Amino acid sequence: MSEDTNNTEPKLIGLMAQFDDPDSLLAACEKVRKAGYTKTDAYTPFPLHGIDEALGIKPTILPWIVLTLGVMGGFAGLGLQYITNAEWYPFIISAKPVWSLPANIPVIFELVILHSAIAVFLGMLALNKLPTFSNPLFRVPEFARATDDKFFLTIDVNDEKYKPNKTRDLMDGLAGQTDVIEVYEDPSPAEIPKIIKFVGIGAAVVALIPPILLWRAYYQTSTVPRINPIRDMDIQLRGDTQTISPVFADGRTMRPRIPGTVARGEWIDPIMLTGIVPDAGKQNVAFLQDDEAPKEGDQKPAAEEKPAEEKPEADKPMAEDKPAEAKPADEKPAEGKPAEGAAPAAQPEEPEPNWVKIAPITVTRATLERGRNRYNIYCSVCHGLAGDGDGLVAQRALQLEQPTWIPPTNLHTDYLLTQPDGKLYNTITHGIRKMKGYGDQIPAEDRWAIVTYVRALQKTRTGTPEEIPAVEMKELEIKGQ
Amino acid sequence: MATVNEVIDTTIDDPGNRTPLVIGGHDYGSITRLVCGINESKTPIAWYVAMLASLSLLGMLGGLIGYLIFTGVGVWGNNNPVYWGFPIVNFVFWVGIGHAGTLISAILFIFRQNWRTSINRFAEAMTIFAVVCAGLFPGIHIGRVWVFYWLFPLPSLQLAMWPQFRSPLLWDVFAVSTYATVSLIFWYTGMIPDLATLRDRTNNKILRIVYSVLSLGWTGSARSWSRYEKAYTLFAALAAPLVLSVHTIVSFDFAVSQLPGWHTTIFPPYFVAGAVFSGFGMVLTLMVPARQLFGLQDVVTKRHLENVCKILLATGSMVGYAYAMEFFIAWYGGNMYEQFAFINRAFGPYWWAYWIMVSCNVISPQLFWFKVCRTTPWLMFVISIFVNIGMWFERFVITVTSLARDFLPSSWGMFEPTWVDYGMLVGSFGLFFTLFLLFVRFGPIVAMAEVKSVMPFPHHNRREEPNNPHGDFHDDPDQ
Repeated sequence: MSEDTNNTEPKLIGLMAQFDDPDSLLAACEKVRKAGYTKTDAYTPFPLHGIDEALGIKPTILPWIVLTLGVMGGFAGLGLQYITNAEWYPFIISAKPVWSLPANIPVIFELVILHSAIAVFLGMLALNKLPTFSNPLFRVPEFARATDDKFFLTIDVNDEKYKPNKTRDLMDGLAGQTDVIEVYEDPSPAEIPKIIKFVGIGAAVVALIPPILLWRAYYQTSTVPRINPIRDMDIQLRGDTQTISPVFADGRTMRPRIPGTVARGEWIDPIMLTGIVPDAGKQNVAFLQDDEAPKEGDQKPAAEEKPAEEKPEADKPMAEDKPAEAKPADEKPAEGKPAEGAAPAAQPEEPEPNWVKIAPITVTRATLERGRNRYNIYCSVCHGLAGDGDGLVAQRALQLEQPTWIPPTNLHTDYLLTQPDGKLYNTITHGIRKMKGYGDQIPAEDRWAIVTYVRALQKTRTGTPEEIPAVEMKELEIKGQ
Repeated sequence: MATVNEVIDTTIDDPGNRTPLVIGGHDYGSITRLVCGINESKTPIAWYVAMLASLSLLGMLGGLIGYLIFTGVGVWGNNNPVYWGFPIVNFVFWVGIGHAGTLISAILFIFRQNWRTSINRFAEAMTIFAVVCAGLFPGIHIGRVWVFYWLFPLPSLQLAMWPQFRSPLLWDVFAVSTYATVSLIFWYTGMIPDLATLRDRTNNKILRIVYSVLSLGWTGSARSWSRYEKAYTLFAALAAPLVLSVHTIVSFDFAVSQLPGWHTTIFPPYFVAGAVFSGFGMVLTLMVPARQLFGLQDVVTKRHLENVCKILLATGSMVGYAYAMEFFIAWYGGNMYEQFAFINRAFGPYWWAYWIMVSCNVISPQLFWFKVCRTTPWLMFVISIFVNIGMWFERFVITVTSLARDFLPSSWGMFEPTWVDYGMLVGSFGLFFTLFLLFVRFGPIVAMAEVKSVMPFPHHNRREEPNNPHGDFHDDPDQ
């Protein structure tokens, strides 16, 4: 192995003894250690038991690295689940608390194992200084059998005890050794060739460009839609709301209802729905086309005609006309749907429509109960359980002295007593002044039931003893005493 | 040197002598030549034939996955009420098989069962490839495969939401991916010294570079071995609870739900026993022919096979006990819905699947009580095939019978697998065997370094000792 005749004079870095069996190697290790050598190593095809003591190898710190990483993995698992599920995106499932440790144990456990295992792997490699592809030992042909069936013992020339001849003699004298080999330094240059360096750096720089561009795009606003390579269901053939359609002449994707049509299942008697008695078939249609601005022209004349024609039919004096006309300015802004209320805001002197005088439903005890139930849910919070306009919301608003608060109407005022049922119903449906419309929340039957219940409430103040049946009067008298 | 020496019957227990783990008069060098010879010899025709068959199945699987992705999960038979059909059955089946490798490497290592050294590499490779097959099915089952990363807790601008960590399905993501990662690095760590052996022996330049890179410059230094062994012990200590946790968590997918037939506390141990059972069944299925084909009878002796058979007998009986216990609890618990679920399982429309499962998993391994069955390779091969079939049916029975007869009788229905379902099941075997054949051809299929470490020392210098202090077995008159 010694090529001393070379011009370059490769530097000797160690001596290596070869053995055929593990016992000889162990004995040799023992001997070398006792001779005081420390920069020694043995090479075996399999882990040899007892060699740690024979060679004086200290226990590795690997378990401590693994413990540290494992504990960190556990906290990472705990933190990940806490941050994501309890802080950033709390899931509420079956009313369970958003943070419940037992359910988080499996993931914590798995992350402890994962982190520990990776620590074992990387820690072992790092402590063994692997990967190391260049090793002077690989240049010794005999060394190829270190992974097969031969055993080697090396002493480094840098060992304090190393003396060229003495160490050589020691190696030669080891029992069972079959060969002593001199190991020389790798003569090939240690430096990476420049061209590889430049190409490597260049490739690294080029490889950085796409992530930088992505990162830049990620944090920038853009006027063009984001790139969506897989569209899933983002783009579909159907027309979306508020978009332009090339199919229809008016360019609208959202189609208006065809005049005079009612959607299947939505038909309801127009009187029942609106609380207004129509004067012609045309009238019905006009009220049903609630979203149709262009149709206003058709319905206005109809609405204007009504009061004059219908008045004679009224079975009660139309005392409400005057107060109603006195208030239009207040009422109209609150009406969200001008066409349905038949009172477009532009016309201050809009005549009253022909209100239904009596609720168009059969009034039974059940209706009244239903009306009370709905009234207590929807109306009583402002108007009060008895209709005095002293609901909890109203009381609270007064307490807080809200400057913009408009007190809810007392349902027992003459103004309301004399209103036809239809108008009351219309107020519930569309709201008035600050009161919002309840048409979307309460079905028509229930709104009529509320109207009936309000009438019953009013009757509690206006009724006369004569109106009470004799039997019940008696009961009341008994109770009164 | 590497002559087959079947004269020694390793299946006989002799209290005086420790039974040898390697027979045939091998020394260190002959073990290296025996194992590396498999990689270095000319590729046998049988390998090409097997590879061609596996690759065709793999190609079919690839085509079917493409068809699935472009068409949608409607190509499967999954439908109301059996939304979990073949994909989950195949997933649990493969993940179960994937338990034997790590179990052999980790748990048998901790118990100092040195016979594991001959089969652990093989079994670990099987584990990795089975987990690959297992991971495939949930991956394609999610429907929109291109957003598979939503399974993981990654910040997403589009969703602005995070996974639900209290769901067993998410635990599954963590358990299976941790298991795959840990098994892979465990397997690879174990292979580093053997890859170095291959590196030092090969004359092929390309293979030499590949093996050099893979073996990371391993020299076999005693200082490296010291840390390596510590690392191996740590791996075993970590992988042992991991292997138990993975199938426990897989069983949570079922047990945490409210469905009668799934909602039982017996599931975690029952699944783990089943996983070990199916894993060892697959080890036997692969080991018996491989041992014959590659002439590994000296390293994988009949005693090794017998030990595997004993484990199969034990775990098969545990699985049988679990089946019985499910019925007992259904009766003892007095819940009529639970009772219905189990009576329906055995005597309902899927009675055939149930009885295939019972006969394959409970009855067939009982043959291993007889020594002749434990020592006759072809017989154990046949039984191991039954075990594989039975364990697939176990998952089918659990998944499908429970779902097909769930809560409302009005929504009951039968599961009808489509040709795509069958094709993917068969195709997953193509994937498994393709990977396995590649490994057998290019990787060290027996852990040489570990086998050498459990071989008797040659004792060149101590031959004069009259009594062998280790009780080690010597049958080679030359030593």
